[in-house]
Amino acid sequence: MPTFSLKLPPPFEEAVKSMEREIMRFLMRSTGDREDAMDLFQETWLRAYRSYPRLQSEDGLRPWIFRIASNLCRNRARDRMRRGRVIANETADGAMPADNAPNHLNGGPEGALHLKRAISRLPGKQGQALMMRKFAGLEYTEIGVALNCSAESARASVYQALKKLRLDE
Amino acid sequence: MKTNRMATQVKESAPIDDRMLDAMIGQTRPRIERAMKLLRRPQARVGVISSPLGRLLIAESDRGLAAIHFLFIDGAERTLAMLRKKFDLIENEASARRIGAEIDRVFEGDFSAMAHPVDLSLVESDFQRRAYASLRKVPPGAVITYHGLAATVGQPDSQRAIGNTMASNPVPIFVPCHRVIRSDGTIGNYGGGVDNKIKLLRAEGFEVGRDLRLPSRAVMGHRRTGIFCRPDCSAARRADPAKMLIFADAKCAGHAGLRACKLCKPA
Repeated sequence: MPTFSLKLPPPFEEAVKSMEREIMRFLMRSTGDREDAMDLFQETWLRAYRSYPRLQSEDGLRPWIFRIASNLCRNRARDRMRRGRVIANETADGAMPADNAPNHLNGGPEGALHLKRAISRLPGKQGQALMMRKFAGLEYTEIGVALNCSAESARASVYQALKKLRLDE
Repeated sequence: MKTNRMATQVKESAPIDDRMLDAMIGQTRPRIERAMKLLRRPQARVGVISSPLGRLLIAESDRGLAAIHFLFIDGAERTLAMLRKKFDLIENEASARRIGAEIDRVFEGDFSAMAHPVDLSLVESDFQRRAYASLRKVPPGAVITYHGLAATVGQPDSQRAIGNTMASNPVPIFVPCHRVIRSDGTIGNYGGGVDNKIKLLRAEGFEVGRDLRLPSRAVMGHRRTGIFCRPDCSAARRADPAKMLIFADAKCAGHAGLRACKLCKPA
């Protein structure tokens, strides 16, 4: 039997310190709102701390924490949608607010705004995968871990997302 | 690629610079700190030492010893995983060495050395907690049977459950599960290996023979009346098993403050 040598994972704060900015940036890009991003950052932090003991290996830390962050983003988006529906029903309007964004992609802030909206219209997983790939710069394998799917599926999600964005153009 | 260009475009049109992120992180920091006060797990210091019982993994919290694992037996990783659920672990050899020194002193004959408090955070069941608490009242130089210990917990028929409880003892040596033997007088099994059980019992004065039985000089002591008898004394046989301890010999029982029975005259 090999002799046991004690190797403890680093304390939580130390382990995630270098990822703070990255996570906040991801949340800011995902939610597009400063207050929301800060709320979700706090929640990501606390959730990650709570389940840190269950993380098997430190190698998976980065995708794991992005997975927590993206799950929280998704939850929030879903809650918003539900709440939006209730309000819509109450006003007996029935119709969602019209999206009057210009349907073309050109340079400048308008094009950027359009891209943001286009991303927000993508199905959850595709949008998340695209954000992680293009904005946070994660590897496909990391996205796979974060979104609980294979690297291939992550690559396909990004591909589908791009295809839809191009059709939108 | 076009989307890369678009992503760059988004980044440039709505830049999120590091200063802004740092400011946002700084603003959330006090809120996180407040929430962490409620969530934070207590700390435990972990280290590995060599002892007369082999290499040991030792974890100590502020409340006391939380875990000891015999490293020649598999499962150290599992012990660490269990500890991580309850504690934030930090490596600290000095803390482990202090505990190691206490174990060394026991082997030099100083039984009072093993008075370190224990932290039973890893124990989930109430039955097990009660069993460990009542086991800690068995002094060095005495042993109790599985049946007897079950009786002290108020469930005299639960000797098997006591056996399982001893097998899953998170703090062996200090929660002295080596002081629990079978009712037939054989010393039974031990999570840290029978050899270590014999070593510990010998260090505490029990000369366990090759047949793995208690020495013939062993006497039965009654904790309530403070009287010790020969095992075959009619008074000892009638006594409540929850009250009975087995001492290595009359001298050990005398040290524990008991007097000899006037019927069987064991001294």
